[in-house]
Amino acid sequence: MTTFAEPVISSNPSYGVVAPRGQSKGRLFVKWITSTDHKTIGYLYLITSFAWFIIAGILALALRSELARPGLQFLSNEQYNQIFTMHGTVMLLMFATPLFVGFANVIMPLQIGAADVAFPRLNMLSYWLYLFGGLMAFGGFLSPGGAASFGWTAYAPLANSQYSPGIGGDLWVIGLALSGLGTIMGGVNFVTTIFTMRAPGMTMFRMSIFTWNILLTSILVLLAFPPLAAALFGLESDRLFGSHIFDSANGGAMLWQHLFWFFGHPEVYILALPFFGIASEILPVFSRKPIFGYKGLIMATIGIAALSVSVWAHHMYASGQVLLPFFSFMTFLIGVPTGVKFFNWIGTMWGGSVTFETPMLFILGFLVTFLFGGLTGIILASPPLDFAVSASYFVVAHFHYVLFGTVVFAMFGGFYFWWPKMTGHMLNERLGKIHFWTLFFGFHLTFLVQHWLGIKGMPRRYADYLATDGFTTLNTVSTIGSFLLALSMLPFMINVWISRKTPKVTVDDPWGYGASLEWATSCPPPRHNFTSIPRIRSERPAFDLHYPHMAHTDGGH
Amino acid sequence: MKAGYKLFGFLAVFYAVVDIVYWQVGGDPLGVTAIALSGALALTIGFYFWATEKRLGQQPSDNSEGEIADLAGELGFFSPHSWWPLPLALSACTAGLGLVLGWWLTVIGVGALVVSIIGFSTEYEKPGLQAH
Repeated sequence: MTTFAEPVISSNPSYGVVAPRGQSKGRLFVKWITSTDHKTIGYLYLITSFAWFIIAGILALALRSELARPGLQFLSNEQYNQIFTMHGTVMLLMFATPLFVGFANVIMPLQIGAADVAFPRLNMLSYWLYLFGGLMAFGGFLSPGGAASFGWTAYAPLANSQYSPGIGGDLWVIGLALSGLGTIMGGVNFVTTIFTMRAPGMTMFRMSIFTWNILLTSILVLLAFPPLAAALFGLESDRLFGSHIFDSANGGAMLWQHLFWFFGHPEVYILALPFFGIASEILPVFSRKPIFGYKGLIMATIGIAALSVSVWAHHMYASGQVLLPFFSFMTFLIGVPTGVKFFNWIGTMWGGSVTFETPMLFILGFLVTFLFGGLTGIILASPPLDFAVSASYFVVAHFHYVLFGTVVFAMFGGFYFWWPKMTGHMLNERLGKIHFWTLFFGFHLTFLVQHWLGIKGMPRRYADYLATDGFTTLNTVSTIGSFLLALSMLPFMINVWISRKTPKVTVDDPWGYGASLEWATSCPPPRHNFTSIPRIRSERPAFDLHYPHMAHTDGGH
Repeated sequence: MKAGYKLFGFLAVFYAVVDIVYWQVGGDPLGVTAIALSGALALTIGFYFWATEKRLGQQPSDNSEGEIADLAGELGFFSPHSWWPLPLALSACTAGLGLVLGWWLTVIGVGALVVSIIGFSTEYEKPGLQAH
C-alpha cells in the first residue's frame, strides 16, 4: 500500500543494539520482520488489516453482484455460502479486531508517554499469529472443497464434519484459534503497558479517552477470546476426533450458541470502543474545546465493559430457549452509556469553533451512521420486534450501520488525523473530502434500503430470490451503492500515494489544537518516542505545552 | 495501580451481582459459569494490583504532582529487535496445520515449537547481557 518514512533512530546505548542500519530493500525488510518497535508493529497491523478490508470488500462485491437481479448468474449456492462466511470472518476477525490492535500499538504508548509497550517481542509474536492464522483460514479457498461455508457464527450442528465436510472448515477453526491467541496476547500487552508504563504525572484520570478505551477493550479481549478459543477447540475436536461436545442430541447446539455469543457480543464492543476512542480524540481538536464530560465518558465506557458480559443471548432470542426479560432488560440498559457518549460528543462540539477538516467529516459521518445503527438496535433489543425481523436483511442493515459506521468511518478519521504523526506527511484535503462523500453516499445507498428489504421479508444468507418476491428494485439499488462504496477507496489510495511527495511536516502538531501527548513529539516520532516529555498536569499535556497561557492544572484526582 | 484494583474490584463485584441475579431468575448453566469465571478473572487481576501496590507503594505515574525526572535512569530493558517471534509463530501454525494435513506435520511443528520457545525465552539470558 505504502512505505512509511523511516524514523531517525536516536540510539540510546542502554537499550542495546539498534536495528541494522542502511536503507537497502533487503535490510529494510529484515528490519521490519524482526522489529520490536511498537510503531512498526502497529504499521504492520494497520497495513495487513487494511489489505484484509480490501479483500473482504471484494468478496462483498461478489455477493452484491449475485444479488443484483433474480436468478443465479455466476455463483453457485455453495460458492455464495463460502463467500459470505469468509466476508464476515475476515471483516470481523482479520480486519476490524487487528485494526484496533494496530491503532492501539501506534498511538497508545505515545499518549501515555511510554518508550514502547511492556512486552515488545510478545507484540511481534501476536502479529505473526494473526497474519498466519488469517492466511490459514482464508487458505481454505485453495482446498479441494473450498473455504468454510457455515457462516462466521459456525452454528452447530451445521459446522460439524457431517454437514460441512472438507478441510476448509478445519483450516477456518484452527486459523481463528491461532489468530485469537495473538489477540489475547495483544490484550495482555496493552493492559500491562497502560498500568505500568505511564509517564510520571500521567495518572489514570489524565489519560486520553482513546487510551481508556484501549484499556477497557483489552479487558474485554481477556474476557471474550478465551471462550472463543474453548469453543473452537471443542468444535475441532468434534470434527477431527468425533467427540460429541456440540452434538445436538445432548444440547450441543445451544451450548455452541451460548459459548459463541459469550464471545461474540463482547467482540462487538471490542470493535466499537477503540473507534469511539478515536472519535473522542478527533472531536475536541476540531471543536477547539476540551472533551465535554471527561469523567462521565470514562464511566460510560466502564459501564459498557461491565454490562457487555450480560447481553450475549440477545443474539439468540429466536432460539426460544433464553430468558427474554433478562436479556432484553440488560440490552436496553447498555444503550444508556452509549447514549451518554453521544451526549458528550455533541456537548464537545456545542459552542465550539467547529471546522470541517477531513478527520472531522469522517467522525461526523460516524456519528450519523452509528446513531442509525443504535436506533435499530433498540428495535432489535425488544423480543417481539426482533422475532418479526430476525435473520432478515433488517439485521444485516443494522449491524452494518453499527460496525461500518463505527469501524470504517472512525478508521478513516483516524488515518487522516494521525497520518502526519505516522508518516510525516499530510493527506490531501480535497481528495479526502471526495473520499468521504463517495463513501458516505455509497454506504447509505447500499445499506439504508436493506432495512426495507428486511421488513418485506428478504432473509439473510440466501443466494437468490424470485422476481415475484418484489425484492428486485431495492436489491439493484443496494448493489449500485456497493460499487459506489468500493469506488470511494480510489481517492484514498491516490491520496496515500501522492502524500509521499508532499513536504514533510516540521511541527509536532500540524492540526494546531492537539491535546494528548502524541502531539508533543516529532512527526514521525523517534525510535523510543520522545526526546523530551512535557510536564503532565491535566488530560491535555500537549495543549498545555503549546498554549502555556491557557494551561491549567486539574489538581489531581 | 490503585485505580487498577479499584477498576477490577468493581468489575468483579459487578459480575458477581449480575451472576447471582441471572442465576436466581433461572439463567442457563453455561451463562452462570461464564459470568462467574469473568468475575474470577477480574478478581485475580485486581488482587494482583492490590498486592503490587502494597509491595511497591505509589508509583510516579500515579502521582498527580509527578515530574518526568522522577523516572530518570535505567527505564528497563527493551528488546531492540528479535528474530524469535517469527519462528515461534510459524512453528505454532505448522503444528496447527498438521491437525488438518497429517500428524507427521504436527510432530515437526511441535519439535520446532519447543526449539523456538527455548530460543525466545533464553534470547537475553546469555552471558554478557546479564547487566540488563
